[in-house]
Amino acid sequence: MSLQQTPTPTAPNPSPKGSVKNPTGFKLFLRRCKEQRVLLYMSIPFIIWLIIFRYLPVAGWVMAFQDFRPARPMFEQDWAGFKHFEFLFTDPRFMEVMRNTLAMSFINLILGFVTAISLAILLNELRNVTFKRIVQTISYMPHFLSWVVAAGLVSAALSMENGIINIILTNIGIIDRPVMFLGIGEYFWGIIGLSDVWKNVGWNSIIYLAAITMIDTEQYEAAEIDGASRLQRIWHITLPGMRPVIVILLIMNIGYILESGFEAQYLLMNPMNMDYAENLDIFVLRYGINMGNFSLATAAGMFKTVVSFIFLFSANSIAKKLGEARLF
Amino acid sequence: MFKKSNLLLMLALSLLLVFAACSSDDDTPADAAEGQDQETTDSGEATGEYQTEPVVTYSFFNAADSGRDINTNETVLGQLFEEQTGVNFDLEHIVGDINQRIGVMVASGDYPDVIVPDAAIDTLLDAGAFIPLNDLLEEHGPNILEMYDEYIDRFTMEDGNIYWIPFGATVNEFKPMANIDQGAFWIQRGVLKENGFPEVTTLDEYFDLITQYADENPEIDGMRTIPFTGLTYDWRFFAFANAPNHLAGFPNDGDVMVDMETYEASVYADSEHTKRYLQKLNELNAEGYLDQEMFVMNYDEYLAKLTSGRVLGFFDYGWQWGNARDALRDAGDPDKEFMALPIVFDEDIVDQYIEPPAFTQNRGAAITVNAENPERIIQFWDNLVKEENQRLIMWGFEGEHYEVDEDGMFYRTDEQLVLTAEQSERDRVGMSVFEWNWPRINGSFSDGNAVEPRRQAEVALADYSEADREYLEAYGIETFAELFAQPQDRPWYPAWSANIEQGSDVQIFEERSEEMKKRHFARIVLADPADFEKEWNDFVEAYRSLDVDAFENFFTEVVEQRLRGEW
Repeated sequence: MSLQQTPTPTAPNPSPKGSVKNPTGFKLFLRRCKEQRVLLYMSIPFIIWLIIFRYLPVAGWVMAFQDFRPARPMFEQDWAGFKHFEFLFTDPRFMEVMRNTLAMSFINLILGFVTAISLAILLNELRNVTFKRIVQTISYMPHFLSWVVAAGLVSAALSMENGIINIILTNIGIIDRPVMFLGIGEYFWGIIGLSDVWKNVGWNSIIYLAAITMIDTEQYEAAEIDGASRLQRIWHITLPGMRPVIVILLIMNIGYILESGFEAQYLLMNPMNMDYAENLDIFVLRYGINMGNFSLATAAGMFKTVVSFIFLFSANSIAKKLGEARLF
Repeated sequence: MFKKSNLLLMLALSLLLVFAACSSDDDTPADAAEGQDQETTDSGEATGEYQTEPVVTYSFFNAADSGRDINTNETVLGQLFEEQTGVNFDLEHIVGDINQRIGVMVASGDYPDVIVPDAAIDTLLDAGAFIPLNDLLEEHGPNILEMYDEYIDRFTMEDGNIYWIPFGATVNEFKPMANIDQGAFWIQRGVLKENGFPEVTTLDEYFDLITQYADENPEIDGMRTIPFTGLTYDWRFFAFANAPNHLAGFPNDGDVMVDMETYEASVYADSEHTKRYLQKLNELNAEGYLDQEMFVMNYDEYLAKLTSGRVLGFFDYGWQWGNARDALRDAGDPDKEFMALPIVFDEDIVDQYIEPPAFTQNRGAAITVNAENPERIIQFWDNLVKEENQRLIMWGFEGEHYEVDEDGMFYRTDEQLVLTAEQSERDRVGMSVFEWNWPRINGSFSDGNAVEPRRQAEVALADYSEADREYLEAYGIETFAELFAQPQDRPWYPAWSANIEQGSDVQIFEERSEEMKKRHFARIVLADPADFEKEWNDFVEAYRSLDVDAFENFFTEVVEQRLRGEW
């Protein structure tokens, strides 16, 4: 799979504050619409998709304030007020669950970014195209494994008996005897973070590779003539060139801060590490979906949306203040 | 900002992919729905007691098991039943999450004609998806009414209606299993042989035997011996937490044990029994006899471990580790296979591992509001529960799948045992299709043969290998189940099948206590023996902070109701 980027001609930045000679206000809007009608047509399916799958279901939030029973009209349900929110926030496990969710999310976010960007830069510096392709393909292959399979592999690799990690670590003398990695709660966040890197680093690097190919090669040539070393070129050209992409992805990912993943934690969880493994999604699965309590699940979903919203907007406005690229 | 627009384009493309994937998924159920209620015009002679024309195809959704999505008439028996009743079924099995699937059904009102909703039965009942069957049964289901006679009350709802037909009404004589497929402490047979086939009754004897053997054989096949292990993964954790209940001489009633005199239900998670068992495991762990990975392995790793031949003992329910058992048998070292022992705490406790006859009334097959002419379905079911048809489903065809001895008892030759164990043969005949999830009987036929071949002593005996016989003879028994005591009379059994209201305090207690047990039991067992008391007290304190009384009262009430005959 290769991403071909056709360099777009530098379109004028459609800033609403145009120069005084241009028409303003509604007229300008109509003119712009006409000019860009093809783009608008292209976006129609997505707007419809957005409305159907993202806006209409918001009406279902009403469920969070009811004792929802399926197949009964929305307004014949029993109203429950804030009961489900109360259950959620007063559960003795809630704080621990939030701690795990945030911790795993941040670890995944930071590890994911650093490793994907590094891999993209390293791949970009490779001169041998065949080798580059091979590395790229191998690195994003695990992405296509389902977590069920991936978790099986992780668990087998970490096993105390015949687990490859334990064998390697004992043979090179880092540990004296096998460690029960999945039995020590404190290790769990790290295991999840590293498994996530292993599974997704190649895939995540694609978008950065695409960003790198969009950097004008003349800049590199100029730098080379000026005698910049490789590291200097990476630091002064590649990284700044990728910055808008990095910032935008960071903002978007911060919006997903409460989505720390579900399958990996659920599948690798066991009685010994559950204190560190249980995150919000697992909690909601256990007390919401498994018990047919859709109202609680909705309440948790609402809570997540509100938190996401706050994070997304703060990240965006920070980016704005720093004069970086931003979403809106 | 051209990079930004490119980025957005990429995002848009990926959204498009997601959209495409979603929409193709959505098509499938719609297509399946269109296919239902297709009436095929087939000119068959209308013979017998049922209306056989026109031939009708009903859709059948099975939310309980996975399986092949075929039409019942593609099997030998399905063909036969179609000739008898003019009805066949398009089977669809669940793929993915049951709640999600049923949720979509409820929201759209798009039900199959017949459904086996498994755990989602309450959701569908609540949604008014089922039609009452009382009048239909009265008119078209004389055989069903006869076979289910003593159980009818149990699955009649409070509004006086019957909405589904459970499976496996015991008729005539109850036949216990010839082999243990329920809970037991299992021991590698070699350990017994080495020690001259000793009688093992108590937990201490059991562990002494195992630890002594482990000392003598620190390695098996070049790998470290695992003296004792257990299954603790995910929802299967009960296979660990239930053991003290069995050791105390109670059958699996769920989270409670029911007193045989006062009929009071009490939780045993924080009882002396559990403490005693955990303390024993704690000691074993301190001495290095407990599998270190006991609380870490997943289900597959557990099965792999059992199959490796290095495990000397464990507690589990037979049906959970069937795969490993088959693999061990195929491996061909009979001394590495396991034997079930009825272990109890003390000599004077009577073991109750074998389940009393049970009837699960809150699962079954139901007809939905979408079914046209539901009487045809009832007629099909009515035909199905007749003895001769049940015999065909369970045993197959005489001469092909079973033989009859001079006393009229059914048995299977070696070839027939192999043949009927083959999935392809079971699929071809249709045994795998009809043996469960349809109205059916259990127990024995009027001629004394067991309904299920696995409960027929003659079949079990023929299936025993030379090595099996050696053990049976050494212990002076005919079947392995004979080591176990017969079940006492528990008319409420099993208490765990009670309908617990969704979202109720009782259900929340169940979930919380399950989680608490998982967290604390692992800590208690793996604790330094000096900290055992402290860890145990921590657990008891935490456990008692839950609403234990409400839970116990609920089950005491359930038992009382059932004793009064109200199910």
